[in-house]
Amino acid sequence: MLFQLAARNLWRNRRRSLLTLTAMVVSSSLLILSLGIYSGMIEDMLASATEQYHGHLVVSVRGYQQDRELFAHFSPDKQLMARLADGSGTLAISPRLRSFGLLSHAQNTQPIEVLGIRPELESAVTTLQQKLIAGRYLDYALPGGALIGQGLAKKLGVKPGDELVFITQAADGSIGNDLLQVAGIFATGATGRDNGLALVHLPWLQQVIALPGEVHELSLRLEDPLQAAALASRMNRTLPTELEAIGWDGLLPEMAEAIATYDVSRLIMCIILYFAAGLGVLNTFFMSVMERTREFGIIMAMGMKPWRVRAMVLLESLLLGGISLVVGLALGLLMSLYMRDVGIDLSAHITPVTYAGGTILPRLRAVLDPPNFYIPAQLLLLICLVAGIFPANRAARLNPAAAIREE
Amino acid sequence: MDDLLLAWKNIWRNRRRTLITLAAISLSIMLVQATHNLAFGIYARMVDSGVRAGSGHLTVYRTGYIDSRDEKLSFDPDNLAETVRNLPGVEQALPRLYLPALAQSSRESRGIMLTGIDPQAEVTVNPYLKGLGEDEMVRGLSGRDAVIGQRLLDELKIRKGGKFVVTLQSRDGELSSELLRVRGVFKTGIKEIDRSLVMVGRERAAAMAGISGEIHELAVILDGRSSEEDAALQLAAAVADRPHLETVPWERAMANLANAIKLDYAGQQIIFIIIVLIVTIGVVNTLLMSVMERIHEFGGILALGATPGRLRRMIMTEALLLGASALVLGCLLGSLLTWYLVEVGINLAAWLPEDLEFGGVVFEPILRATWDLPWMGEIALYVFLLTLLASLYPALKAGRIAPASAMRHH
Amino acid sequence: MKILPLLLLLACLYPPAAWALDLRALIREVEEQHTGLSSEATMSMQVKTRHWERNLEMEAISLERDHFLVRILAPPKEKGVASLKVGQEVWNYLPKVDRVIKVPPSMMGGAWMGSHLTNNDLVKAAHVDEDYDFRLLEETDRSWRIDCIPKSDAAVVWGRIIYQVDKATKTPTEVDYYDEEGEKVRTIVFDDVQSIGSRTVPMRMTVQPHDKPNERTVFHYSRLKFDMPLEKSFFSLRNLRGI
Repeated sequence: MLFQLAARNLWRNRRRSLLTLTAMVVSSSLLILSLGIYSGMIEDMLASATEQYHGHLVVSVRGYQQDRELFAHFSPDKQLMARLADGSGTLAISPRLRSFGLLSHAQNTQPIEVLGIRPELESAVTTLQQKLIAGRYLDYALPGGALIGQGLAKKLGVKPGDELVFITQAADGSIGNDLLQVAGIFATGATGRDNGLALVHLPWLQQVIALPGEVHELSLRLEDPLQAAALASRMNRTLPTELEAIGWDGLLPEMAEAIATYDVSRLIMCIILYFAAGLGVLNTFFMSVMERTREFGIIMAMGMKPWRVRAMVLLESLLLGGISLVVGLALGLLMSLYMRDVGIDLSAHITPVTYAGGTILPRLRAVLDPPNFYIPAQLLLLICLVAGIFPANRAARLNPAAAIREE
Repeated sequence: MDDLLLAWKNIWRNRRRTLITLAAISLSIMLVQATHNLAFGIYARMVDSGVRAGSGHLTVYRTGYIDSRDEKLSFDPDNLAETVRNLPGVEQALPRLYLPALAQSSRESRGIMLTGIDPQAEVTVNPYLKGLGEDEMVRGLSGRDAVIGQRLLDELKIRKGGKFVVTLQSRDGELSSELLRVRGVFKTGIKEIDRSLVMVGRERAAAMAGISGEIHELAVILDGRSSEEDAALQLAAAVADRPHLETVPWERAMANLANAIKLDYAGQQIIFIIIVLIVTIGVVNTLLMSVMERIHEFGGILALGATPGRLRRMIMTEALLLGASALVLGCLLGSLLTWYLVEVGINLAAWLPEDLEFGGVVFEPILRATWDLPWMGEIALYVFLLTLLASLYPALKAGRIAPASAMRHH
Repeated sequence: MKILPLLLLLACLYPPAAWALDLRALIREVEEQHTGLSSEATMSMQVKTRHWERNLEMEAISLERDHFLVRILAPPKEKGVASLKVGQEVWNYLPKVDRVIKVPPSMMGGAWMGSHLTNNDLVKAAHVDEDYDFRLLEETDRSWRIDCIPKSDAAVVWGRIIYQVDKATKTPTEVDYYDEEGEKVRTIVFDDVQSIGSRTVPMRMTVQPHDKPNERTVFHYSRLKFDMPLEKSFFSLRNLRGI
């Protein structure tokens, strides 16, 4: 009954309701869209940092990720692998061995990081295979093959098929050294990796640095990367004591900070936008209540209780809020979907940006992240409620006798 | 004049309605102005601390150095630094030298970037050196004082005042080693910098590399009073007689920072358009309503014999007055909020972990605004015109209504 | 009047400096025990670290202080790996890939052949008499203890070095390396003294890092020959390859 009254009241002044509705729909849908684009940037960044190199979660000897000491290696047994694979949310596991040394070709020598991997496992965890600009990914046809970054290839002056020499300190104290052949060249946009990373076959590196059967880390790809921290702490309860699991948030604290900043600025943005939108809504309802002073006076004189008047006005604003919420969310979703599937390419104006260990690609692309919908939605309803309370109180406090006489 | 007075009286006949409208418009102006000034301030600071820690607003390099970072591409600045410092609009000119090297203590060795600086000039500008006292700075151009990052100090297992040996390959291919002493320690929060940057007097570094008197980079810091373009022209003229040198703006010398700002700005731009859009709708909405509400009243005026033209004029005059008042009030409020944001700012520290990095520059957790007066004027004017425009439709309509139907309209 | 500056100069050079000069010469003599004008040696190197134990046989040829060539003879896996030092620079030859690699400045701090000496030790060790000032700490019937303090500008990482030198043979018995805070960082012990021709030489040298008490590197000469005719041109990259 009250609901019908409220609905009728809104309908009666269609123009005003429509304008208010538009303001709220436009603000919430555009807000949803821009939050989606921001999330897209964050996701790009996170993906570039984790899926090009680190993985979402790594298991390694305690302390290894801090100083990357050659001797902090371990031998993953079947049991451990099975347990990690079993853990809910693990999509793939890649064992890796790491070594720092010199790579040279002809007269050029460069300091580099070499990662020994198994191609079929690594390509299920990281996505370097999608970043090749020449040659091919590592395969078993070429056991001494190497995948190197674009900048490194340029500095060494090599192309696929060329021979390289790798030299490093082996774990038995000797000078580990062997020949490699360039299999492929990748370009990620992250200068550190493009200039100083090489991927080789795990057995090859194990032999060169005299660590047969050993690895430095197991890198995991997860179903939901944002669950990495939670999963890591769960794993740490069951892992052997010398090992630890670290999520990307621990590997890349700067990235975790960047995301924290993003969350703060998302909130600030929402508040500013809704403050602007809320002003409009508040305004509309004040006007509408004032305009109906006489009407309220009459219905109150006819016996309607003040709390019912208050509830009616509040309901009006909530109803308006509800409608704009539905329309706004739908519109926001549509625009986000468009931006997710099509997006805007900015690569003509901007080159990739390295930030907090990740790389933001120069494109605007939205992702659908639930908080980007429910935070604006909650705020919108809150705003409508707040904007409804003042006029509702005013209406409820009217003196019927005086109100009827007004105008 | 009479019209104005009448309109003014008219506006205030319904004080509450006018106050609401006024509040809506002026608060909108305030919001847009303050938000813009805040964003403006954040970018300005980012650029400022970026160029101060990095290679300046403008940089002079040997042609080709910027792309290859080849240590061989050094140049003899002669008196260029002095000349540049005296150019109008230039705050400081910083000669620098960058040499990859090895640092060794009695326990450990680490790869570093030996950076030769002019300490007297550098300390006035470089944010990394901000926290250092006078007794922690490099003395002279050729002494053995070094200022290094906290992380490097820890990794070498030495203390302030301790010595370490730096080895590098000089221009003729020979290895050259020198003893340095830690005089100051900085902590930027940027891992790479704290781990590898070693600052010494530039003559010490140059002598080690066998290129006495030469530098790799002359970073020029502008005082912000004249435009970057003017300064660039002046600087280009100053180095015109040295064809092997080139002048590069910071956007190119620090492409990563420039791109980070550009990208973030693109996102910010969208938000801005949305805010302006919402404000537009809000203002139009409020005005439409406040005029529509008075259709009944207008009918009365027409019935009393006023011509539609006069009624239109009256409505427009009222809108003009309302807009002007909102403009004054809004600018006042906007300035007040901006002033607060300039002086106090928004402190994010409560929400954020320390040491936040953005595009390679230490990010201050306090967001502060910067005055952008022309823009504030523009947005105020925009809202003012919007007010007039929004009144145009009801004004036209009011002129066309039949008095009788308006009287019945309720 | 003209004689005064000359006198002052003489005064500076002689009385108080007389000891210092002696010590400097002594240290130089001690340091050159193993090199002579030229030397040729076969030795074993035993390295024990937390992570590996190595036993290498190698031959070493040196000329004065700045020319030095070492080649590994055994074990078979590392046979032929060689190191050449000329002046301030070090090259390694790796037979497996048949390449000569110049040790870049960034690797000078790295372990030489997996031992407790760094590449830099090879380059720097021979210059103690140039980079330090000396003071006699203690003199007994049998030995001197000599304190070596780096010259204020010398590019050395140590805070001080203390030599224990046997008087009779003028050979070192122990050398302690300290950091600037006065903490002992490593010790080299010399023993198994034998007469080789006209020289008396300790045939064994043990490097002991103090922050890793369970680790050490031991060099032991099995054959040592001095003062053969050698040209500087012998120390070439060609000979490093062992051709």
